[in-house]
Amino acid sequence: MTTAVPVKPRKPWTPSQIVLTLLGTAVSVAFLAPFAWALFTSLKSETEAVEVPPHWLPEDWTGQAWKALFETGNITNWFVNSVVVSVCVTSVVLLVSALAGYGFARTEFRGKKPLMGLVMAGLMISPAVLGVPLFTTVQQMGMVDTYWGMILPQCAPAAMVYILYKFFQGIPRELEEAAFIDGAGRWRVFFTIVLPLSRPSLAAVGIFTFIASWNNFLWPYMVTNNPDLMTMPNGIATVMNSYGIQWAQLMAGGLMAGLPLIIVFVFFQRQIVAGVAHTGLAGQ
Amino acid sequence: MMATSAQTVTAPARARTAADSATLRRPQGFQHGGWFVAPFLLLFALFVIWPLLRGVYLSFTDANISGEGASFIGLDNYREALNDPLMWDSLGHSAYFTLLVVPCITVLAFLLAMLAHHIERGKWLWRLCFFAPFLLPSTVAANLWQWLFNPGTGMINYVFGIETPWLTDKSYAMLAIVIQTLWWTVGFSFLLYLAALQGIPGHLYEAAKLDGANAWHRTVHITLPMLRNITGLVVALQILASLQVFDQAVVMMDFLPGPEGSTRTFVQYTLEEGFTSYRVGYASAISVIFFVIIAAVALARMWLLRNREESAR
Amino acid sequence: MGRPDLNRRQLLGGLGGLFVASSFGFAALGTGADALAADADTRVRYWNLFSGGDGSNMIAMLDAFRKANPDIAVKDSTLQWGSPFYTKLAMAAAGNRAPDLGVMHLGRVTGFSPGRFLDPWDVGLLAKYGVREEDFNPALWKRAVIDGKLYALPLDIHVQLCFYRKDVLKKAGLLGDDGRIVPVTSADEWFDVLKQAKRATKKGLQTIGLWVNDQNFQWWFFVAFYTQFGGTWFNAANTEVTFDTDKATQVLQFLRRHITDGYANPGFAGAAGAEQFLNGSPFVWEGNWSVPVFSGAKLDYGATPLPPVFGEPATHAESHAFVLPHQSDRGGPANEGAHRLAAYVVRHARQWAAGGHIPAYTPTLSTAAYKALNPQSEYVSAMDHQATEPKVWFAGSTGILAQRVGPIVVASTLGSAKPETAARRMKSALTQLLAMKNPMDGRTAAQGGAAA
Repeated sequence: MTTAVPVKPRKPWTPSQIVLTLLGTAVSVAFLAPFAWALFTSLKSETEAVEVPPHWLPEDWTGQAWKALFETGNITNWFVNSVVVSVCVTSVVLLVSALAGYGFARTEFRGKKPLMGLVMAGLMISPAVLGVPLFTTVQQMGMVDTYWGMILPQCAPAAMVYILYKFFQGIPRELEEAAFIDGAGRWRVFFTIVLPLSRPSLAAVGIFTFIASWNNFLWPYMVTNNPDLMTMPNGIATVMNSYGIQWAQLMAGGLMAGLPLIIVFVFFQRQIVAGVAHTGLAGQ
Repeated sequence: MMATSAQTVTAPARARTAADSATLRRPQGFQHGGWFVAPFLLLFALFVIWPLLRGVYLSFTDANISGEGASFIGLDNYREALNDPLMWDSLGHSAYFTLLVVPCITVLAFLLAMLAHHIERGKWLWRLCFFAPFLLPSTVAANLWQWLFNPGTGMINYVFGIETPWLTDKSYAMLAIVIQTLWWTVGFSFLLYLAALQGIPGHLYEAAKLDGANAWHRTVHITLPMLRNITGLVVALQILASLQVFDQAVVMMDFLPGPEGSTRTFVQYTLEEGFTSYRVGYASAISVIFFVIIAAVALARMWLLRNREESAR
Repeated sequence: MGRPDLNRRQLLGGLGGLFVASSFGFAALGTGADALAADADTRVRYWNLFSGGDGSNMIAMLDAFRKANPDIAVKDSTLQWGSPFYTKLAMAAAGNRAPDLGVMHLGRVTGFSPGRFLDPWDVGLLAKYGVREEDFNPALWKRAVIDGKLYALPLDIHVQLCFYRKDVLKKAGLLGDDGRIVPVTSADEWFDVLKQAKRATKKGLQTIGLWVNDQNFQWWFFVAFYTQFGGTWFNAANTEVTFDTDKATQVLQFLRRHITDGYANPGFAGAAGAEQFLNGSPFVWEGNWSVPVFSGAKLDYGATPLPPVFGEPATHAESHAFVLPHQSDRGGPANEGAHRLAAYVVRHARQWAAGGHIPAYTPTLSTAAYKALNPQSEYVSAMDHQATEPKVWFAGSTGILAQRVGPIVVASTLGSAKPETAARRMKSALTQLLAMKNPMDGRTAAQGGAAA
């Protein structure tokens, strides 16, 4: 370790740094241990998984749970459904809330103030709060058990409009005005000047929306009855893959649902951290 | 300022009606933005406003899940709700959960952020470790802890050498859900704190160091006051999210209301009434009550913020 | 560097666009990944609640059906058992997106709005595929008929059993000459058995697992022992509660005693009971659906109906039945396929019996193949001593009755309520339920509930 040649001068290992690093390592191990337990469980046989007392490492390493998962379950279906729903929700939310955020921030129309107030009030409504009436609404529209029934109700997030509204307010007006003087229409201004400027904010909203939608359970749980249409979180929780609660398989399925985002996170850490922090901080 | 000068250039030639006069001072490009907000408003009206109105309407009826033959029954649902011990119990469970989770998560998030902020090496690694659980779907995180808490075969009891009936005893069940929630969601608040810590200007600390303040004093007198806003935000977001707890509670309890009903949350109760007992009217009534509670919390926060801003002036 | 980078960016952008576009295309099709792959003429969508050993048996029977009827594509889906299953089935029927064939517990049919959420069977069509009324236990068939129409086609009877490990009981001297557990006829005898079994049990394991914290299982056990006592629920007209709190108290005390005497450890409640059994715990009370699980683990075990400690032998019994969830345009080849599939599975229930269930199709019971099944032959008598919930709209597996009364039983068993108090609370819950209107038709149990 000491042989490595650092490009920039390393900071010294002061005693306080050593203590903090050790502490950080201990806490990290505690945070990661459940992942390890899930992984090791998924590599045991079902009978070994429920042995008393438990042990960390499998005595017989076996991929049976993973194999069974793909052979017997709907897991690949659910994966595709999760991707479809999350991609659709993210693109619709980005488009719709960018337009609306810009509309509220920069344009004038009748009834803007009360409408903005209404959108702010919408921050308090979620499927958790008004799930039953929302379900009956979607039921009336004939969208129970369809992709659209899952997607569209996730596409009106007042919070995202508010975040982009705040951002657009911060863009200097002069840029747009110059373009208007050049005779550009406001749609062109929006798409060629405003949107490229707001890439970081859009990325933040997009990332946050994607995570929320990929992990969403409550609404898909309420609106899908057909296991073919379920998303990962919903399918894993509600449909047993015909063989009961088998912990090894359940852990394998959980890892499959959880790992994509974590792997993406490892590679795009800076953007995701900025995105989540940006979205969260906008509530200030 | 720029706006006025631009207006003189692009001053519209056509005569304006009185209604347009409000926008008179804006350049042409900024008018008639209705089309920008239309798509969002359409979705918003269909999936937020309409369900709210519909919920209020249904709450005055005895509607069932089939959507046929509902009749108006006035305030009966509300009268029943106020006398319904299960509703009060489930409201109490959600409130109890919130009371446990919010302080714990705020303190833990702050401590983790301080830790990650002050360790000079491997910042990305600490961030990854503390934030990774938040990226798991709620149900996966819940299944994982159900397995960790499982009697006999679970790792928690084994590692700590105890025999606590986490998921099967009513005095521990909610605690188990709280622990799971801490692990799963602390990453989000942690990131907010971390971003805020990085936003504190370094020269404040330098100045304090010159004055001879030690690390503890710097934390208490600089860091904590600088984080007051973010703490308010974290607490508010956590309260709103915790009151709406549902996913982890039902999954960890196999979709049952927990030992002796001790983990039945408010959201779970509305769904039970609506989708298991098929009483959509009654479920709507308790949903409306819940909405009023959530709105009250949100409005209280706005009121507090405004007060603080005014007193700061 | 600029140009290749730009090209790569364009490529990525193009791919991304394509990806988004195909996602939308997929969503617009709206059928799910699996439907795209199916190519048979008739597609029968079939929802069931079978997990564990049942799941694999059902799949084997479906595979046999597919082989025999290649023109019918069966798309089977397994849902989480319990309330969510009924919720989803009801919601699908209400939203007119119901599958062609479903499975329900017979006790739930009365409350499931036959006529609105369920369509009646075409008895003629069933006969064409070889299933007739005379092949069933008459009482069972009668439970499935509402308003003169058949709304459910019974597949089996399933019961709560007392599983025991022969290796442990042998050590404790509790096995008879026939290799089965010694007969038990009173509560004292039962606790003596537990006492001796406990001495032969490995350290760290409980003596018996009985789902002490589970509102469904505790309720089923209560129904079984309360019925052994000759207890009743309501009068014939469903206008009065005839629940006997004295008898109920004794049953609750009996259940509670398993914990107070140290035989059941509340820490190993729930599914952990079966895990303990696999690890060497001598007893577990479980549904007969655990037979394939324990057989699969190669245990030396037996199974009897719940011990008749209060007089008459009786054990809780329910029945899985095929139903036709309501479709406004029911008919045509999918409907015919559903009839054919249900009839096939009911008639080929030998495989189903491997899952521990007692087949409802009586010709199966007299076959030599069935008689050779073990431990099924040990508990087949349970069929003649069924303890069932009352036939009212709020009853049935995981129904409102179990939801309201089950937690009270649990509270007593776990000791947070006195048995006498719990019995009184049960009675008042029953009174409340009897006065409650069925939300589907606004009528109480006495007014016929949803049975009309």
